[in-house]
Amino acid sequence: MRSKLARAAAVLFALALLYPLSGLFTQIRSWRWDADVSGPSLASIRVSLGLTSLAMLIVVVLGTPAAVYIARRGVHERLWWQAVFLLSILLPPLALGILLSITFGRVTNTPAAFVGTQVYVSIGYYVLGAVAAFDGVPTILEKHAALLGQPPTAVFWRVTFPLARLGLAVALSVAWVRALGEFGAVVVTAYYPSGMPVQLWVNLQSFGLPAVMPLLLIFLITALPLPWAVHLLAQRRPHA
Amino acid sequence: MDVHLELESGGCFALFGASGSGKSTVLSCIAGIEQPDDGFVRWDGLSFYPPPLPLHLRGVGYLTQDPHLFPHLTVEQNIAFGLAAARSRAESEWLERLRDSLGLADIWKAAASQISGGQARRAGVARMLARRPPLVLLDEPFNGLDRQLRRELLEALEVWRREIGFSMIVVDHESEILERLCSSVAVIAQGRIVQQGSWAAVRAAPIDRVLDNLLRPL
Repeated sequence: MRSKLARAAAVLFALALLYPLSGLFTQIRSWRWDADVSGPSLASIRVSLGLTSLAMLIVVVLGTPAAVYIARRGVHERLWWQAVFLLSILLPPLALGILLSITFGRVTNTPAAFVGTQVYVSIGYYVLGAVAAFDGVPTILEKHAALLGQPPTAVFWRVTFPLARLGLAVALSVAWVRALGEFGAVVVTAYYPSGMPVQLWVNLQSFGLPAVMPLLLIFLITALPLPWAVHLLAQRRPHA
Repeated sequence: MDVHLELESGGCFALFGASGSGKSTVLSCIAGIEQPDDGFVRWDGLSFYPPPLPLHLRGVGYLTQDPHLFPHLTVEQNIAFGLAAARSRAESEWLERLRDSLGLADIWKAAASQISGGQARRAGVARMLARRPPLVLLDEPFNGLDRQLRRELLEALEVWRREIGFSMIVVDHESEILERLCSSVAVIAQGRIVQQGSWAAVRAAPIDRVLDNLLRPL
């Protein structure tokens, strides 16, 4: 009896979490996709997907060596690094945007500012997740690989990376969603070129909900499936 | 810890002592898994310490009770791990000989994470020998194995040692295994070598009652 009640409560909780998605099916006026809406919306999709992909490349190139370094440090140094990356995660987005716009100066409202902001808002998530992924690779395996004649780079690519790759994919998927969906900081540092979140806001302000729905659907399709699948795969194969 | 060992090329030294005496620490310092606090480690003209020589340059084969196979690779890939990606015919034949001598044919393509402990131990021996290391370090590699498997591994090590000619340092707390492999023994207690010599000499005059008890059959 108790387990049935617990299951019923869990189902209600899951339904509550999924409830916002019902908004996609809510009856509203016909979705709007005329030239005033579609042109800027399509441009925002290209901006978001293109520049976020570039930002993720920077996150991986900078964040992976940092995570390898941190994962193999002692307790005290790791705490210091985790404090640094937590700060970048915990900064309120609007505050971060204001601070970055001061730092960027004339570079605000440029693709570089857009990419830079996305790197700042997401790299902390990636690095902390990557550190956890590398923590899952026993150092004794790396030492045995070295004793078999493999230099450090070969040890990384042949042992460390394959064993950590699923965790790295999870970390990158979280960083992707975070960067793609960033609004608070980007609206300050890079209103132009507008990515999907800013364009959703503009469409809402200018034309109302009917003009928001098409872009919202595309936004969800680009943001959710890959990270969702990666997380589910990681749960099924935690030691892959 | 205070240890001084000298091993001749092609020789075999046994490190014998009670659990916790420091035997494994000696091997891990030679392999580079741990760093000694003081002193030096030299082998065949190379200084392993100081300064610490990178592990991939030591040319040492190291096998512990847990062979630490790479779980994402097959048994074959594990054993060939230290060889070049493009293997010569001689290397491929060498691997096949190792495979057959250690009874690994049935699990050759199996994932290393899916084989039994005994199979993993045999695969660990093969992986260690694949590069024909000049110095082999064995840290209780027979622990937990049944008598049949122990005999097979002992025989394989004896055969390969004659063929490859490697030097060996073996750690175990069972004197019967060590006596079969090595003619010289160093007895370690509380991190110090307390007695050293041939097995006959050590058995004839064990330094203390603890050693005498360790040397007695069960």
